[in-house]
Amino acid sequence: MLQDHLHDYVLKHGFTGYTELRAQQNSNRSVVMLNGSLVSNSSGISRGVSARVVKGGAYGFASATSYGDDVEAIAQIVRAASDNAAFLDRHVQRGMPDFATVQPFSRIDGLEQDVPVEQSFLLGVADDLDSYLAERFPRLLSRRVFARVLNMEKLLYTSDGVVSHSFVPRSNVYISMTMQDVDGQPVELYKVLGGYGNFADKFSNAEDYFEKLEKQYELLMKKAEGVYAKPGIQTVILDSDLAGILAHEAVGHTVEADFVQTGSVGGPMFGKQVASEKVSLVDIAHTAFGKPAPVPVFVDDEGTLAQDQMLIENGILTGYMHNKESAHKFGHEANGNARAYDFSDEPLIRMRNTCILPGTDKLEDMIASVEDGYFLTDMNNGQADSTGEFMFGVPMGYEIKDGKLGRAIKDTTVSGVAFDILKTADMVSDTVTWTNSGMCGKKQMIPVGMGGPAIKVKINVGGRA
Amino acid sequence: MKKAFAVKDQAILAAAELVLAEIKAIGADEGETWVSRNVLTELYYELGKISMVRTVFSDKVSIKLLKDKRKGTINLNSFDPADIKQAVADAWQAAQSAAPDEAEGIAELQENVSFSSGEGKPDLDLMYQQLTDLLADVRMDFPKISFDSIGVEHNYSEKVYANTNGVRLSDEQGVYQLSNMFMAKDGDLTSSFNYFGTVYNDPAERVTESGRVRRLLDETQQQIVTEQIEGSFTGDVVITPGCLENILWFVGDVYLQDGAMISGTSPWKDRLGERVASPLVNFSLAAEHPELPAAGNLSSDGYVAENMPLIEAGMLRNFSLSRYGAAKTGLERSANSGNIYVFGSGETPLEALIDGVENGILLGRFSGGEPSPAGDLSGVAKNSFLIENGKVTKPLSEVMIAGNLGDMLRDTVAVSQERENSGYWLLPWVRVKGVTISGK
Repeated sequence: MLQDHLHDYVLKHGFTGYTELRAQQNSNRSVVMLNGSLVSNSSGISRGVSARVVKGGAYGFASATSYGDDVEAIAQIVRAASDNAAFLDRHVQRGMPDFATVQPFSRIDGLEQDVPVEQSFLLGVADDLDSYLAERFPRLLSRRVFARVLNMEKLLYTSDGVVSHSFVPRSNVYISMTMQDVDGQPVELYKVLGGYGNFADKFSNAEDYFEKLEKQYELLMKKAEGVYAKPGIQTVILDSDLAGILAHEAVGHTVEADFVQTGSVGGPMFGKQVASEKVSLVDIAHTAFGKPAPVPVFVDDEGTLAQDQMLIENGILTGYMHNKESAHKFGHEANGNARAYDFSDEPLIRMRNTCILPGTDKLEDMIASVEDGYFLTDMNNGQADSTGEFMFGVPMGYEIKDGKLGRAIKDTTVSGVAFDILKTADMVSDTVTWTNSGMCGKKQMIPVGMGGPAIKVKINVGGRA
Repeated sequence: MKKAFAVKDQAILAAAELVLAEIKAIGADEGETWVSRNVLTELYYELGKISMVRTVFSDKVSIKLLKDKRKGTINLNSFDPADIKQAVADAWQAAQSAAPDEAEGIAELQENVSFSSGEGKPDLDLMYQQLTDLLADVRMDFPKISFDSIGVEHNYSEKVYANTNGVRLSDEQGVYQLSNMFMAKDGDLTSSFNYFGTVYNDPAERVTESGRVRRLLDETQQQIVTEQIEGSFTGDVVITPGCLENILWFVGDVYLQDGAMISGTSPWKDRLGERVASPLVNFSLAAEHPELPAAGNLSSDGYVAENMPLIEAGMLRNFSLSRYGAAKTGLERSANSGNIYVFGSGETPLEALIDGVENGILLGRFSGGEPSPAGDLSGVAKNSFLIENGKVTKPLSEVMIAGNLGDMLRDTVAVSQERENSGYWLLPWVRVKGVTISGK
């Protein structure tokens, strides 16, 4: 756990002007087994201290890996950040006032989750899962088991008197299986296990996951006999995982206030109908439906107390995600979306746990309502654009013919313009599921949670003619 | 520049030697370490203003040790002897629980050398001037362009590789880099995002003097109002150089590198020396190239890298395998497993290359899913134009393409004489036939 040396610095030096001072430790472990060979067995710690100083609206940032009880080393970092702010202020002379001060507060969140786990524990889990795959499924062309821990601990002091110490653990195992299809070509499918929490708790018994591996293998066999999807606009049911990435990629990025200011479609649509009235979208801070959200944020890296941010309410675009500067500019409230990945990163406007809220439809009724279309169940990567156009990869799905699931399909991609697609959403299922394995890239990578129910939409499918 | 092994910052070498001493002391058979000291200086523009100056000082140590072919690795960012001692102990613990792997090992003894390039210290005033010049030039010549962000960076690092076989290598680099994201705007109308990255040694260079930069800015201005196409067809795709980099990265991942080769999924795993692509395809990895400021002289597993062809006149000449990947597959270690791409220019002038397309698209950027292990890929054609009867006619949106990477290399029918240079790749325009193009 991080020792609090920042307190000593603050006692001795105090702050001059608006300053955020952050010590951070990201610790990770990873084990990768490829066809039974241990190709990665590593751990790492990224620890350091950073300061961000704002002078007349100009930001100066500095960081170093030398975080310890040497208060003067911390002072050097603050001075370097101040020098950077002064350099820029001299050139740009923006003359902006400091951010409005906030009421001081102090919080400690999640430190009880900081339970050490040994590398040998990850090795054991990976070996158990890999051995099961090898014994049960000899037809596999290849198998890959990737166990991963990412723990993020942050200690923040701001010149406003905010003190926050937080710990957020993430523990995943990624299982990838490849087999030959009927034409002898390799087809692949992967499954992500785990999420928020300590690895030893999430994977206390690898056998608990064997049933999921069995189901995944069944899906892979179906995919090996799969067909290419038809290209063009199709009626599609996006299962929860895909609705979650739709919420994140297609809508979330367009309503981040920095993207709004550079011209995303979220700007002119504020207060307007952007989705069917069945669609509501929220970026959850830390608690979802009475449980911890996948990536809980209680205080962001500018020292703002985090709260949920409503984005779309019954189809109307009602909110943006902000940092302090954009909230001031728009006259909105900042709700804790300024997040940094590593100690050496400055806070950016980021999503936390973006979720389409559940509706009232049953998934089976949704499938039954489709005469000719697709049920898409898994997603991999996704990207968004300033125009609202998005894409994401779909490694698993089925045809729907006359209201019944048909053949599996091969890998495909879906795309569309977010607000156009969401306006076609005429059924929304009553069950939300979350994914907690994704990293969002925007100058820095950062863990995010994505959630949603199944939704029925019309969307462009990148199939083969 | 290559020279006899010499390290400027002795703290780096001392940390590396300490790691090796701890590895030996704890009882490991073999071990290696990378130790580096880095300074990043960044000037950042966003939301219409130069917003931040950022300085990042970082020390990095990565350690690998082997005992009875059992591996443990660890990364830390401290040169503190106590931290290093603890890290080696943790790696030792990890190795104890690992299964042995006969393919494991470290680089063999070789000539100990050092490389150096670029400037060690940034000129922040020149960086500021370069950024303000870029903004002024773009405002004047491309008034509809709006930058979401621009980062002007100077990265300085000195890094040392050392192992228990006596190998000592080092590389000192100081290089400038500019990256950005931008779009074109007209009222409420917006183009897709676009971007360019460039690596260079002289911050006094005027960014907008680059033909590549001007092309991308100009094309993006033309993409504010786009059109969709109806239905789907099979046509030609002209891949622009920046997009080709993305496609070639996929080729490496699916066909050539450790992951696909060790898992046995690479469709080319048994095809070394055979024709896998059109005779027009000449694709190689560079360690150094006279036209490119970026250099990759050292491999991550402790060898001096060399320039190496992957595909030569359509023939598969080399995979891109590390020492470990080679040992696992029984093939030779590759002389380069980096990512500085050079694609040989062709004989077709760009104008003629496009002129030959009856029905297709000019692909500016590919936004797609990861390709399947068989090389199938599909995604959205971003920043792209329709080509009809040899003419680039209209900017497109909501158009998807689908095909297979291997088929695309095989069905390459023309490569341009002209190439573009990002500072870290040198690539032409490539025309591929038989790709599924679909609209609404």
